[in-house]
Amino acid sequence: MSSVAAPSKQAIKSLYHNMLRSSQSFSSYNFREYFERRTKETFRAMQNETDPNKLRDMYSDALKESTSLRRGAIVNQLYGGWKVAVEVPEKPEEILERGNN
Amino acid sequence: MLARVSRTVARRANVTRTLCGSRRSFVQPSGADRASVVDVPSTYQEENHFAPSPDMLGFKLEAPQRDSSATEQVRPIYLDLQATTPVDPRVLDAMLPYFTDQYGNPHSRTHAYGWEAEKAVEVARKNVADIIGADTKDIVFTSGATETNNMAIKGVARFHKEKKRHVITTQTEHKCVLDSCRKLSEEGFDITYLPVQKNGVIDLAELEAAIRPDTSLISIMAVNNETGVIQPLKEIGAIARKHRGVYFHTDAAQAVGKIPLDVNEMNIDLMSISGHKLYGPKGVGAAYVRRRPRVRLEPILSGGGQERGLRSGTLPTALVVGLGEAARIAQKEMARDHARIKQLSDRLIQGINAEVEQVVRNGDENGYPGCVNLSFSYVEGESLLMALKEIALSSGSACTSASLEPSYVLRALGAAEDMAHSSLRFGIGRFTTEAEIDFVVKRIVATVHRLREMSPLWEMVQEGIDINSINWSQH
Repeated sequence: MSSVAAPSKQAIKSLYHNMLRSSQSFSSYNFREYFERRTKETFRAMQNETDPNKLRDMYSDALKESTSLRRGAIVNQLYGGWKVAVEVPEKPEEILERGNN
Repeated sequence: MLARVSRTVARRANVTRTLCGSRRSFVQPSGADRASVVDVPSTYQEENHFAPSPDMLGFKLEAPQRDSSATEQVRPIYLDLQATTPVDPRVLDAMLPYFTDQYGNPHSRTHAYGWEAEKAVEVARKNVADIIGADTKDIVFTSGATETNNMAIKGVARFHKEKKRHVITTQTEHKCVLDSCRKLSEEGFDITYLPVQKNGVIDLAELEAAIRPDTSLISIMAVNNETGVIQPLKEIGAIARKHRGVYFHTDAAQAVGKIPLDVNEMNIDLMSISGHKLYGPKGVGAAYVRRRPRVRLEPILSGGGQERGLRSGTLPTALVVGLGEAARIAQKEMARDHARIKQLSDRLIQGINAEVEQVVRNGDENGYPGCVNLSFSYVEGESLLMALKEIALSSGSACTSASLEPSYVLRALGAAEDMAHSSLRFGIGRFTTEAEIDFVVKRIVATVHRLREMSPLWEMVQEGIDINSINWSQH
């Protein structure tokens, strides 16, 4: 009855790689980390899922999300991209002693 | 498609670089000797700079370069999620079609542009209704939680003003609620501001005692924006239900999408929802106005009778769609987000408590974990904030941060004046990472230690002197 037949292992794998690639192409640190982690979690749950109906629903949800994710990544590349403080490698602090100046 | 995009970016880069995100800084006004200069200095001939115009009043615009160069701007870590949240890219993706090709007015009945906009608004309405367990027709879209609070409080009070002249609220409410109540008291209503206990939760017995035969409205917020305290909505709703004619309004701006809410279970008659606290756009919110039994209120805006006559005006389709999508995503992700935010919040608190002593957590421990309000003894709050330049934090709420007064919420909780001054509010959300929390913990610990080293009060405390027993001599 559903339009998507039981997804093959190949289809799931290729969807996973596509979504991961989109997630990693976000310019903004927070979004990039969030979507990478979320994609990995979703597909790990799919891997452990045994019920074929639930698997089909999860796959179709992920499919809908993957296009939205790709567009979101493109928009973020256009407008986002400044580095956040936690991404910049820290410079060792200069310790000034009294009498240094 | 990505290649096509990058060429457009390169073409637009010169324009966008100067237009968005430019920072202003003050320059000294030039003296009379330069009054004869007719051309701009050579530094302004570069493409990155604007030519200064007479109405710029001496401000100089600095354009931050986006690609790596000497002036690479590093943005602070954002931990002020109670003030506002970033727009989720999925929400932005849902909104953009209504800013590009599908720009119809949802109230246009005669053509496809209007029909598709109306359909999108109805889908958004359903999404917002689902997250609070309401019926679709109960949701009214407004311009934000402030407008909804005004509409609910002033609307209900004024509608019933013949027979009912009393409104009950708490001392820790948001400024817009308190200000609406103050306006009502100027009109002749009686307002009771209930005090809160030490942990921020109201006393139910006091609430029950405060209800009079002429009470029309109880307004108590669900999750406090400064301390994260969660009020017992179910019990308050039960009390309101017992007394006929008393409506229960809750400002759930910080609660929607973060804790499970059900208007029927909690007997809520009116609720305020804010878009930009939910990873949605700013400038949109929603009101839940119960229809069974009907809550009647006097609308603030008169006009074409849109939104059941309660809020006239054209609906901003894109913003409404954004709110709906944000609500749908929040509903789906609530459990996952909550578990993760609790984990990060514990990590933050334990990290700080392990290294720093005499830290007080304001508010209930069982409050919302994403809002952590900590007071550091013997450290001044503003200097702590100034030292934490790379972290976007707030001391007290955004609406009150302009004044020098300590936050009224902390004062209502019974915090001492100096503790209220040295409080920091950490907001943790969906997009916060462990690395950011660790960075923040390290910085805070280092800064607090450094500031305490410099503090003579801390020295005295370390020696065992009781500060309160000191007789400060007057010069």
